[in-house]
Amino acid sequence: MVEREKTRNDDVPLDDKAKRMRDLLSSFYNPDHSSAPKPPSDYENLDAINSTSFDPDHYMNVLVQKSNLEGLLRRHVEMAAEIKNLDTDLQMLVYENYNKFISATDAIKWMKSNIVGMQANMEQLLDKIMSVQSRSDGVNTSLFEKREHIEKLHRTRNLLRKVQFIYDLPARLSKCIKSEAYADAVKFYTGAMPIFKAYGDSSFQDCKRASEEAIVIIVKNLQAKLFSDSESIQARAEAAVLLKQLDFPVDSLQAKLLEKLEQSLGDLQLKTVRIENILLESNDPSKQGKAFESIPSTGHEVSVHGFAEAIRAYRVIFPDSESQLIKLAQNLVIKHFEMIEQCVKSRISSANFLGALRTIWTDVLLMDEVLSEAALPDFSLEAGQVTVKKYVASTFTYLLQDISDALLKVKVSPNEAAEEHALKLALEASKKAVLQGSMDLLLDFRQLLDDDLGLLVKLREFIVDWVQEGFQDFFRALDDRFLLLSGRKNPSSQDQVLSEGALGEKVLVGIALVLAQLSVFIEQTATPRISEEIAASFSGGGARDYENGHAFASGEICQIFRSSAEKLLHHYINMRTQRVSTLLRKRFTTPNWVKHKEPREVHMFVDLFVQELRAVQSEVKQILPVGLMRKHHRSDSNGSTNSSRSNALLDDRMSRSNTQKGRSQLLETHLAKLFKQKVEIFTKVEYTQESVETTIVKLCLKSLQEFVRLKTFNRSGFQQIQLDVQFLRTISRENIEVEDAIDFYLTRYELRSFHVIVAASERCFDPVPLEPPILDKLVQVKLARSKEQSK
Amino acid sequence: MQGSSGIGYGLKYQGRCISDVRADTDHTSFITGTLSLREENEVHLIRLSSSGTELICEGLFSHPNEIWDLASCPFDQRIFSTVFSTGESYGAAIWQIPELYGQLNSPQLERVASLDAHVGKINCVLWCPSGRHDKLISIDDENIFLWTLDCSKKAAQSKQSSGLLHYLSGGAWDPHDINAVATTCESSVQFWDLRTMKKTNTIERAHIRNANYDMKKNHILVTAEDESGIHIWDLRKPKSPVRELPGHTHWTWAVTCNPEYDGLILSAGTDSTVNLWMAPTSAEDEATSESIAESATQQADPLLNSYSDYEDSVYGLAWSNREPWIFASLSYDGRVVVESVKPFLSRK
Repeated sequence: MVEREKTRNDDVPLDDKAKRMRDLLSSFYNPDHSSAPKPPSDYENLDAINSTSFDPDHYMNVLVQKSNLEGLLRRHVEMAAEIKNLDTDLQMLVYENYNKFISATDAIKWMKSNIVGMQANMEQLLDKIMSVQSRSDGVNTSLFEKREHIEKLHRTRNLLRKVQFIYDLPARLSKCIKSEAYADAVKFYTGAMPIFKAYGDSSFQDCKRASEEAIVIIVKNLQAKLFSDSESIQARAEAAVLLKQLDFPVDSLQAKLLEKLEQSLGDLQLKTVRIENILLESNDPSKQGKAFESIPSTGHEVSVHGFAEAIRAYRVIFPDSESQLIKLAQNLVIKHFEMIEQCVKSRISSANFLGALRTIWTDVLLMDEVLSEAALPDFSLEAGQVTVKKYVASTFTYLLQDISDALLKVKVSPNEAAEEHALKLALEASKKAVLQGSMDLLLDFRQLLDDDLGLLVKLREFIVDWVQEGFQDFFRALDDRFLLLSGRKNPSSQDQVLSEGALGEKVLVGIALVLAQLSVFIEQTATPRISEEIAASFSGGGARDYENGHAFASGEICQIFRSSAEKLLHHYINMRTQRVSTLLRKRFTTPNWVKHKEPREVHMFVDLFVQELRAVQSEVKQILPVGLMRKHHRSDSNGSTNSSRSNALLDDRMSRSNTQKGRSQLLETHLAKLFKQKVEIFTKVEYTQESVETTIVKLCLKSLQEFVRLKTFNRSGFQQIQLDVQFLRTISRENIEVEDAIDFYLTRYELRSFHVIVAASERCFDPVPLEPPILDKLVQVKLARSKEQSK
Repeated sequence: MQGSSGIGYGLKYQGRCISDVRADTDHTSFITGTLSLREENEVHLIRLSSSGTELICEGLFSHPNEIWDLASCPFDQRIFSTVFSTGESYGAAIWQIPELYGQLNSPQLERVASLDAHVGKINCVLWCPSGRHDKLISIDDENIFLWTLDCSKKAAQSKQSSGLLHYLSGGAWDPHDINAVATTCESSVQFWDLRTMKKTNTIERAHIRNANYDMKKNHILVTAEDESGIHIWDLRKPKSPVRELPGHTHWTWAVTCNPEYDGLILSAGTDSTVNLWMAPTSAEDEATSESIAESATQQADPLLNSYSDYEDSVYGLAWSNREPWIFASLSYDGRVVVESVKPFLSRK
C-alpha cells in the first residue's frame, strides 16, 4: 500500500516532504483503497519496483546481468538509502495516526459533559405554550354567537334595500324618461336586471313589467335620438352606448348608418363625375384651370365637408368601427384617382391635372382631420404616385403620337402643289413637334414641381426621376418609331406601302430622309436643349439610386440618334438605289444583248432612271442643307481635271479604236485603272444635298456598271449603252443649277459613266462606238422629245 | 498599296472566280480562271509557298472560253469544273490537269466530262461538300442537274429536276446533309431535296446574290444581298433572319463561312473591299428574337476588318481548307490577293 502510494508520488518530480505526508495520510483514510486504479502499463516494466507485479528475483537477475560492478554498487547504495527513507516515513505515519486518535477522544469527552442540563429547560417551555392555547380557545367560543347575529342583521338590511329599489324602479324610470336622463335610467335598469332575472316571474312580476315598459320607451327614444341628425353628436354617441348597454342589437343600427354614409359617398362621386365632365368639355384653355377651382368650392367641397362630418359623427357614435370607415375613405380616394386616371387617358393639360389633384388633396386633408387613423395622406400618396407616373407616361406617349402624326401628315396631302414641299413641311412640323412638344412637356412638369400641393411636394423627387426616365424612354421609343416609320424594321410594311400607289410610296421613301434629318436635329439641337432644361429645373431627383448617375443621359440619347440618323440616311440611299437597281435589272434581263439591233433612240429606262434621280433631287433639296461648295471644290479640283481629260481621252480612244482595236484593248484597261479612284466613290455620306445626291448617283451608276459586266454585247448593244449613258450625261449637265457644283458634280458623274462605257466595251465582241454626230443627233432628238412631253 | 499584308498575284486578264484546291493536303493552293471575251483564257493553279510569303504559279493552262464559275474537286486535286461562255452560249465541263504537267511545254487540260444538258445560262457547278462523293450539281436559269461523275469512263450521268422556271442565279450544297441544296433566285432562296428533286422550303427574300452554309453549324445559312447586306438565317425559322450584317457600301457579291472557325464570315463586295465578320450565332441567339440579337450586335462590332487593297469589284472569294485562317480573293482586274486573318483571330 505504502509502496503504491510512493509510486504515485514519484510522478511528481519535486518530492516535497509535507506533501508526501499528506498524501500518505489521505490514502490511508481513503475507504476505496481496495479499488485503487490499476497500475498503468508502463509499471509492468521490470524496473518498476513499485508495481505489484514486481518480481524481485527476476529484477535481481536482470540487474546483475545488465550492470557492471560499479553500477551494482551504486544501485545498492541507492536502494539502501531508499529503504531507510521509507522506514522513516512509515514511522511518522504511525505517529500521526496516534496523535489524531488522542484528540478525537478528547472531543468526545467534552461533548458529553455539555449535554447534561438541556432536558429540564425544554419541558418548561412546553408547559407554557399549552396554557396559551387553551386561553385563546375560550375567547373564541364566547364571541362566536354575537358575531353570527350581527352578520345576519346586515344581510337582511341589504336585501331590504334591494327590494325597496326594485319597487321604486318603474317610478324612477318614468321620472328619468321625463327628464331625459336616459343614462341614469339605463344604469338603474341594468342594476336591477339580475334580480328580475332571478325572481321576475314570481314576487316582482308587476314591477318587472312596469319597468320593461319604461325601458321600451327609453329604447325607442334613444333610437330616435341616434338617427336624428339634429341631435348633437355627443348625445347620439351616448344614445348608442346606452342602447348597447341595454343589449339592443346595435350592429344592425351600425350597418344602417354605414349604408347611409356609403350612399352619401355615392352621391359625392356622382357629383365629382359631373365636375370632371364639365371640365373635359370646356376646351378653352384659359377656363380650364379655373373651372376646377370654382366648381368644387360650391358643390363638391360642401358635399365633402358633409361627408367628413358624417364620418366624424359615425366614428364618435361607433368608436370601434374604424376599419370600416378607413375602407370607406380609402375607397373614396381610390375612386378619385381612378377618375383622374380616366381623364389622363384622354389627354389632359397639366393645369387640369393639377386642379384635379388639388381637389383630391383637399378632400384627403379634410378627411384626414376626421379620420387620422386611416393615414389617408400616405394612402393617397401611394395612389397619387401611380397616377402621376401614369400621367407622365401618357404625356410622353402623346408627344410621341404628335411627332409621328406630324411626320405622317405628309402622306395625307394628296394635291400636287403640296407635294413639292410636303417633305419640307413634314420636317419642319416634326422638328417643331419634337422641340416645342418637349418644351411644353417640361413646362407642364414644371408646374407639377412648382406647385406647393402637399401631395406633389412629397412626390417631387419621384416626379423628377420620372420625367428624366420618361425622356430617356421617350427618345428610345422615338428612335424605334423612326425605324418603324422608315420601314427599316419591318420589311413587310414596305410591301404594303408599295401597293398603296406611287405617291404614297414616293413620300415614304422620302420620310426616311426626313427622319434622318430629324434625328440629326434631335441629336444636335433638341437633346442639348432638353438636357439643359432638365438640368435647370429637374435636377436633384435621385429618389432611387442609378448606377449610371442620371436617369436622363443626354450623351446616350445623342449617340442613339447619331447612329440612327446614319442608319436612316443609309436606308434612304439604299431604298433609292434599290429602286434604280430594280429598274436596271429589268432593263438588262429582258433583251438579248448579243443580238441587239442598232440603236435608234435612247432607251425608255433612261427616262425612268432620270425620273428617279429627279425625285431624289427634289427630296434632298427639301430636307438637307446645301453643303459647303468650296470644300468639295478644292478636294475635287484634281479629279475634275482628270475627268475632262478622261473625256477627251475616251473620245480620242474611241475614234481610234476602229483602226487599232488590239492596242486600244490594252489602253482601255490601263485607262480604266488610271481613273479608278475607288476612295472617291465610297466616301462617308454627309448630311448635305450634294453628298447624298452624288452618293446615290454614284451607287446607281456603279450598279449600272455591274449589270453591264454581267452581260455580253454585240456592237449594237454596246452602242445602245453608249447612247443611253451619253444621254444621261447630257441631262445631268443640264440639271445642274448651282454654278459652283458643276465641277464636282461632273467629276463624279462623268467618271462613273465613263466606267460604265468601259465595262460595256470590255464585255463587247466588237466595241465600235457610235460616230459622235450620230450620237449627238440621237441625244438631241431625245432631249427635244422629253422637253415636249414636259410642256 | 500601302499597309497591305496580303500577297498578290496578277492574272493576265479579268477574273471572277477562285476556288480552294481542297484535295491538295500538302500545300495551300488555289485555282482560278480568267474572264476575257476576246482573248485566250487561262486557268491558273497557284500555290502559297511554304514560307507563306509568296504565291507561285504551279500551272498555267489554256481554257477555250471565258470562265464564269470554277470549282475544285474535293477529292482529286487535279480535277475541277468550270462554267464557261462563248458570249452567246454557255457550257459546263469537268477538267483534269494532265499528269506531269510540270514537264510538258504546253500542257493541255483534259476534258473529263461535259455537263451539256443545259439550255439556258449556266450559273454554277457545285461539288458535293462531303468530299468523297462523286456527285455534282449544276444549276442553270431554270433547272438543277445532279450528276454522277465517273472519272475512269470520262462520263457523267445526269438527273434533272423537272422544269422549274424560277430564274435561278446560284446555289449552295448543305455540308451537313448531302441531299439538301439551296438555290438563290430572283425573289427567294429555295431548298431542294435531291432524292426527290422537289422543293422543300423557301425563304422569301429579294435580290440574293450568294448563299453559303455554315460549315460547323447545322441549319445556318448566310446570304448576301445586293443592297441590303448580309443576312444569317436559321433554316428552321425562315420568316426572319437571325442576324443582319451591314455588308458593303455597294452590293455584297459573295459571302463565305470559314470551314473551321465558328461565326467567321468573309464577304466580298463591288465597293472593292473584302470584309471579315465575326457573327457567332449562339444557341441563345437562335432562341431569342431578332431584337436581342440586334442589341448583341450593338455590343460588339461584328466587322473585324475591312480589306480595301483592291482596285475593282471583288467577285471571287475562297477560304483555304488546309489552313483555315488563309483566304484568297480575286478582284475583277485579275488580281489575286491571299491574306491571313490570324491577327484578328487572336483578338477574339
